[in-house]
Amino acid sequence: MAKTFGPNVRVLACTALLAAGAVATHHAQLASSGALLVSDISAPAIDRGLRNLDPPRDSRNDPPDITVDGDQPFVPGSIIVKFRPGTSPDAQRMLLAQVDGAASRPPSDADFDIVSIDPGMDPEAAARQLNAQPDVEYAQARYRVYPRFRPNDPLYARQWNYPSIDMERAWDINPGATSSVVVAVLDSGVAYRPAIVRYQARAFTLDGIPYRSLGVVDVPFAAAPELGGIERFVAPRDFIWDNTLPLDLDGHGTHVAGTIGQLTNNSTGVAGMAFNVRIMPVKVIASLWDLIFNSPFQGTDDVVARGIRYATDNGADVINMSIGRSGPSAPVVREAIAYAVGRGVFVVVAAGNDFEAGNQVERLAEFAPDIEGMVAVGGIGRNRERAYYSNTGSYVELMAPGGNTRVGGTEGAILQQTFDFDVVETYFRAPSQYTAPRFDSFAYDYLQGTSMAAPHVSGFAALLIQQGITSPAAIEAAMKRYAIDLGPAGRDNEYGHGLINPRASLRGQGLAK
Amino acid sequence: MTRFLIGAMTVCAMAMATSAQAQTSEFMLRGFADIGSTAFKAEQSFAAILGDRRGPVWGGGVEVVLPFAVFVDVRASQFKQTGERVFLYQGEQFNLGIPTTVTVSPLTVIGGYRADFGSRFFPYGGGGIGWHRYQETSQFAEGSENVDERFQGYHLLGGVEFRVSRWIGTAFETEWSTVPDALGADPNGVSSGFNETDLGGVTFRVKLVIGN
Repeated sequence: MAKTFGPNVRVLACTALLAAGAVATHHAQLASSGALLVSDISAPAIDRGLRNLDPPRDSRNDPPDITVDGDQPFVPGSIIVKFRPGTSPDAQRMLLAQVDGAASRPPSDADFDIVSIDPGMDPEAAARQLNAQPDVEYAQARYRVYPRFRPNDPLYARQWNYPSIDMERAWDINPGATSSVVVAVLDSGVAYRPAIVRYQARAFTLDGIPYRSLGVVDVPFAAAPELGGIERFVAPRDFIWDNTLPLDLDGHGTHVAGTIGQLTNNSTGVAGMAFNVRIMPVKVIASLWDLIFNSPFQGTDDVVARGIRYATDNGADVINMSIGRSGPSAPVVREAIAYAVGRGVFVVVAAGNDFEAGNQVERLAEFAPDIEGMVAVGGIGRNRERAYYSNTGSYVELMAPGGNTRVGGTEGAILQQTFDFDVVETYFRAPSQYTAPRFDSFAYDYLQGTSMAAPHVSGFAALLIQQGITSPAAIEAAMKRYAIDLGPAGRDNEYGHGLINPRASLRGQGLAK
Repeated sequence: MTRFLIGAMTVCAMAMATSAQAQTSEFMLRGFADIGSTAFKAEQSFAAILGDRRGPVWGGGVEVVLPFAVFVDVRASQFKQTGERVFLYQGEQFNLGIPTTVTVSPLTVIGGYRADFGSRFFPYGGGGIGWHRYQETSQFAEGSENVDERFQGYHLLGGVEFRVSRWIGTAFETEWSTVPDALGADPNGVSSGFNETDLGGVTFRVKLVIGN
């Protein structure tokens, strides 16, 4: 299924809040809700597989080392030679004597010889000399062949987003960073561990339809299998429930975390950008279920600002914020971002999904042009054109794949592992079929939005940090310098500086070229 | 202008040869090998990629000493160093750990005057032309991402030769060269950012001469 997740998850939350608030007025007897961790473990995660046949989802914006042996590209001291059929051994020896060469035992599965030459001799020159002889079909230096990293994850072929930004060659240079890089995911939480949590589900109204209270429910959680074990996650923090258990009750944060760091080349599922980094789950967005369960906090500016400062103070190198809002400016968030960047943290923010809903200024993304070390990211589809939802404006700096179901249908969106929404979004069923959710059933889902574009850039930033570009301002400069210009020449409000180009940025500069 | 100066100095050296005293009228063919150090004019670019603007250079060639102390030498030499690719931002350098090898291989023809004052010391000086092959290769580079280009340069040199024996001599010499417009053309090279375009520099070398 394809689902458009914009940065305005908050907006969805607000809608639910209004509904929940209204219900609370009529159900004053509802006790103050709380979350109780009943168990640290739960049943194993359920894998529901690929959901590519589901129809595209509606927009959810407003509302709801290789090391080198020497520096030459070929192996010194030997060349490859194939003689023409019928060339006698004596003739072969005489020809090889011209380059002081001697054939070794023929290699298996080959119809050519490996000829030893003087290690100080130029193999290309020796090959040229032999190629001039009529009895030689070909001779060549033994050029090294480098891996073209193509993940073996079986659903990788459906991830058009990585080839579209030349990630396979970028991974040759930097295969997924390392665990020394920490990327904080400020989102709806992440499915990072198993648990059973007891909530009290209050009654609410959604789109005018009343839903009954479910009372006390024990909700199972499981770690997303493709995000790795709990040791991969550092300093988890939940600012919605004010605890250290940032469980995802939505699926958005888990999908975003997957694009950043999904386990890759493990013969399972899909791939991620920086698949060796550690992830810091910081929950700053309240989902509909958080509100139904009456979380003490919601995804407000102050919560987001606290999340940014928390991530900064607890070792994050990159902060991904696939979140945002319209409305008035948010100085508290601006200061928090400046705090983060000033302490060496690179910040990535989604540019917003409201283009067709008035294209209002995204209030978190709008700071990007003024803060070197923060970027606002718009989304493209598989046709490399701006996706229909992606905001435009002076604050758009870079583009990355966000998906576009209008180009390519469901599979035009971004595929990652997240929850099986059938057992999460039970509030979309008729009230009579409404049940408690479960967060232990996973599927590979197609989502679209600048929320999906931003984590590509966060993963890219992690690779750059691992490669050696550690200053946030320099990371931004390296991204912009090599971005592929789209749309009108030069920077423009639709595509910013263009589509990210990880390989070129990772290669950097030589002396002459 | 540079060409003019070098040409003028070469002509002067030749002219001096005709008026020098105690000139040999022998024709001498000598071989030589040398080792030295080159300091490139594009100092920021070489320092950024290779860690130093200077590096060892070695070479060798043949020298013909004509009557009236005029000499012509043909020399092939090579500078080759490995560093790493970088990203430069506002004066800060970030090393990227991608090995890059820079090779500069000049082939020069120098003409000049070798004074003979009847002692074991022979001061000499001259000027000439060179063809410089510039190669830059790096890990992960594909096709045109490596560099292999040739440029023309101009050289001036001076030194003193000391005859150790009839057939062996040693010399200390300094060579100045300019190879204009060889660097700085590609905006992705650090040389472009530093606005350094000349591949020339100054080379100090010690020379072992075999021959009369």
